[in-house]
Amino acid sequence: MAESPAPARRREPGLTASRWTTVRRLVAEHPGAALGVTFIVVLVLWSLFGPLPYDPRGTDGSASREGPSGTHWFGTDGTGGDVFSRVIEAAKIDLSLALAGTAVALVIGVPLGLAASTKGKGSQRLVRGLDAFQAFPLLILALALVSLSGNQLYMVVVAIALLNIPRYMRLLRSEVLAIRESRFVEAATAMGASTPRLIFRHLLPNVWGVILVQTSLTIANSIVVLSSLSFLGVGVSAPTPSWGSMIRDGAGNMSSGEWWIATFPGLAVLLCVLAFNQLADAIGDRTARSYR
Amino acid sequence: MALSTITTRGPSRPRRASGPLKLVASRLLFLFVALFGVVTLSFLLVSVTPGDPAELIAGPVASQDQIDAIRADLGLDQSLWQQYLDYIGGLLRGDLGTSYYTNLSITSEIGNRLPATLILIALSVVFAAVVGVGVGAAGAYFRGRWPDKVGRFGTSLFQSVPDFFLALILIYVVFFVLGLAPAPTGQIGIGDVRPEKVTGFITIDALIAGEMGTFWSAVSHLFLPVLTLGLVYAAYFAKTARSTVGKALNSQQAQFARAMGLPERTVLRYAFVEARGTIVTYAGVIFAALLGGEAIVERIFAWDGIGTWALQGILRLDVPVVQGMVLVAGAITLVTYTLLDIIVGLLDPRITHG
Repeated sequence: MAESPAPARRREPGLTASRWTTVRRLVAEHPGAALGVTFIVVLVLWSLFGPLPYDPRGTDGSASREGPSGTHWFGTDGTGGDVFSRVIEAAKIDLSLALAGTAVALVIGVPLGLAASTKGKGSQRLVRGLDAFQAFPLLILALALVSLSGNQLYMVVVAIALLNIPRYMRLLRSEVLAIRESRFVEAATAMGASTPRLIFRHLLPNVWGVILVQTSLTIANSIVVLSSLSFLGVGVSAPTPSWGSMIRDGAGNMSSGEWWIATFPGLAVLLCVLAFNQLADAIGDRTARSYR
Repeated sequence: MALSTITTRGPSRPRRASGPLKLVASRLLFLFVALFGVVTLSFLLVSVTPGDPAELIAGPVASQDQIDAIRADLGLDQSLWQQYLDYIGGLLRGDLGTSYYTNLSITSEIGNRLPATLILIALSVVFAAVVGVGVGAAGAYFRGRWPDKVGRFGTSLFQSVPDFFLALILIYVVFFVLGLAPAPTGQIGIGDVRPEKVTGFITIDALIAGEMGTFWSAVSHLFLPVLTLGLVYAAYFAKTARSTVGKALNSQQAQFARAMGLPERTVLRYAFVEARGTIVTYAGVIFAALLGGEAIVERIFAWDGIGTWALQGILRLDVPVVQGMVLVAGAITLVTYTLLDIIVGLLDPRITHG
């Protein structure tokens, strides 16, 4: 990784800064994003490999609804489950579903967006159609899809993808339309560049920045959608802990004072979303600087 | 088309009315087509997705004959095309069917619940707009200084917090710890009597009936849900206001106004006028997004609106309820967007009509 100090020859005066310096500069310029990425990495590594103090699926009738303490760092829930272990364990399913949904939306939305980025009447109508689609209460739509399909997990991924494909398409279309006007595209076309060459050599490299920003935002949004769904009892179901269902379990306890049951999973959602939003901001800053 | 817009300024030219009229006509045409799309989608949503409502209603122990009888009763045994025609026919008569579970008419259910949701959304949008534009404009004016930094921190925080989580935190802090708000029991307290229905808006009905106790109870019950939604959506307003007002403050127009020695108050006012269109657009978009988007918050506060109703309908596969919700939310959204397009178009002579 980049942490090891670079060999001395790399620190020659001039243009090449060592990787370590680059990382330090990046962190200094985008402290929020750096903190966020660190948080996500630690969370993911811990949920995959880390030791958990208690069984995240276990219950303990003798220790229900205990406040945070040395034995149960985040307290226990109504069935005596350890909130800390469950919050960490839930990162697995929550983050992987959010990533899967985003990946599907990216893979389908980007080519469709490229295809729709012409000035023709047809593609304009398509965009109008997307507007109308986005006029729907999207959460209700996602809920309907998942619950009507009998609560299948893959439908959660499909729902997230469906909500986000139109966003990718709109974004790609507006960006590519602007670039298509520029001289270098005209020049490439005049020199007889094929469509694939035009797309892969000239258009895509110029929109990678906005695609990355959108992807980071989409992951953040997917985490919210996902936890909203499981908060309502749809999607990820019972023995598997997910942040949304944990918040649901603790929701009633909020007005009777046992705040920790819902607050810690809620904070996990909040911090993940914040992390990806900050990352999106940072990527946006950097890519905008590099070619505009 | 840009030409006709410019000529609208000349009062004597005959084309004067054609710009705005054409704008309104074209938007209304689009509205009509899009509404048709919403109807079709709300129909398809339920007919095409897997899962058999008849089996669900009949329950696990029902015989095949019973299930078939229910299917016939619901019209599910007919062809998709016939079902679609029946659906549109019913819609034209104002009949959206009845709930599978409660047998209540969907139209009257929506009529009863819409006011509760509308007042919640309207107040939230107003709250969000006032707070958000205030924070955003302050950030733009003091760019890089502490009001901007605090504002941006708050903006990114509230933009990332899921609304249902914020609702729970506010219930814990404001209701349980501070005791400043009533328990989340819906529009009025458990002990309060619902005033006689006149408009459907409880606050207004209580005033008409002269029951001040109920009125204040209804107002205090609005406090937390409005605060929740208002804070979350204020973040969006703040972000937009910061960039649009900022752009307006850096424009040549503002520089010129300053160079002429106009007071800062006036310069700010000019900047607001320039940012007006964007902010109005945002208010409309957020109003539409809240419809259905606030369902979870409604549920948390036991709010008796269409959001709670739709969630319940979806979770027990009550098909007509889901269709009704999608239809109402889609239609209101489209109408809002159309009105927005027209209002913003008329506010700003620079936008091309056509």
